[in-house]
Amino acid sequence: MAKKDKSRQKKFDTRIDFTPMVDMNMLLITFFMLCTTMLKSQTLDLVLPTNDNVNKEEETKIKESDAITFILDGNVTTDKMGQSKSTDSKIYYYEGKPDMENFTLNDIKFGNDKDAIRGMLQKRNKELLTIVNKLKADWKKGAINDSVYNAKVRDAREKQAADLNAKRPIIVIKPTANACYADVVHMLDEMQINQISTYQIEALNKQDSTLYEHKVGHPLGGGASAPAAPAK
Amino acid sequence: MGKVKIKKQSTIIDMTAMSDVTVLLLTFFMLTSTFLQKEPVQVITPPSVSEEKVPDEKLVQVLIAPNGKVYMNLTGAKDSTQLSTETFRTEVLSQAYNSYRETHPSAPKLTAQAAKEFSKLNTFGVPMKELTKWIALPMEKRDEFLKNEGGIPIQISVKDGPRNEFQTWLAAIKSVMQEHGLGKDLIGGRGVAIKAEQSSPYSLVQVVMDNLQTEKLNKFTLMTSLKVEEEE
Repeated sequence: MAKKDKSRQKKFDTRIDFTPMVDMNMLLITFFMLCTTMLKSQTLDLVLPTNDNVNKEEETKIKESDAITFILDGNVTTDKMGQSKSTDSKIYYYEGKPDMENFTLNDIKFGNDKDAIRGMLQKRNKELLTIVNKLKADWKKGAINDSVYNAKVRDAREKQAADLNAKRPIIVIKPTANACYADVVHMLDEMQINQISTYQIEALNKQDSTLYEHKVGHPLGGGASAPAAPAK
Repeated sequence: MGKVKIKKQSTIIDMTAMSDVTVLLLTFFMLTSTFLQKEPVQVITPPSVSEEKVPDEKLVQVLIAPNGKVYMNLTGAKDSTQLSTETFRTEVLSQAYNSYRETHPSAPKLTAQAAKEFSKLNTFGVPMKELTKWIALPMEKRDEFLKNEGGIPIQISVKDGPRNEFQTWLAAIKSVMQEHGLGKDLIGGRGVAIKAEQSSPYSLVQVVMDNLQTEKLNKFTLMTSLKVEEEE
């Protein structure tokens, strides 16, 4: 008996065909690849002023000539499903005080050109940018590491923000209700890229609306003269 | 000259090595993957140069659909000694619902079963009066309901008036997080993330920001997707 069994066993091939196993694994891999999110989304930090009333003395004073006010606008369309979309984004700006005599409001665009937002901010923020560029050159050479570089840039920016006499632009971003959300984020991006130390998002005030009306030819639509803007 | 002999070759390929590789890949994908979270609406976040990642714990995510409906998603701490996601959600639910019942005594009571169900749901966002009804719905109908009849009421009717439902939720979240010693995580600026469609009009986002400001949550983040900015 035993002898007979032994001889029969020899006939079995011990090799297993792995092809179906590979097939199955491939299917599983495909499934996991399609269902996963490898890229985590990023975030942009934002700080808004408090709604509490601030004492007049506690308010930070800024030089009017430093201020640049950007007004973001667009066209809102709502489809049948009630989903609204903002298109035709437009950006206007004025420097310093609003010009209530001639109602000047200039056009500007996003971009890298000299007369686009990037170029304009670079020109206005030259002092800080030279410091930052020097640091960047050091960092690229490997003379300082990441954390030192970041800390130094932050220090330089904070120093500029605290120094009332420094030559620095102060940016006020005023999106109308019709502005595109992506534009607001883009604008905040420009603040980061150009190392703007002081900027703020605010609602349009009365003077801005007047300027806007003169520029566009119709008053602000869609209840834009909105809610919480404590600062005057 | 003899004939060239062609060696007979077996066409069977050994799949063992291939199988090894696929299993390795499979393991990699299984370990690194985080599944796509199911959300009532898919939104495309605006691009930004910011490189900070979204925190994956102690986060309140506010989702703004293109039609203006607002949903929320709560995540607790990863550290098991701190507030877990389930407890976070149940406690927020009971606090928010109780404060709603104070003004609406006729609203049905919340059962323990419903609270448990709620803690397992990722995204919520229905008016309070529909809440118990929504939780009682079967799984597949909940999403449909969320999409069509959902949305947390958010309009600020009177300034400094009674809280709207979104503010009620925020207040509940704040007090629960403070009770568990996580108040700093919420207020510090990385606790609240706003997720909105890039082409949405700014007014939709502004309403949410105003509500956050009213509840004294001035620091928060906007969720963005990565954009690589070319050097000048």
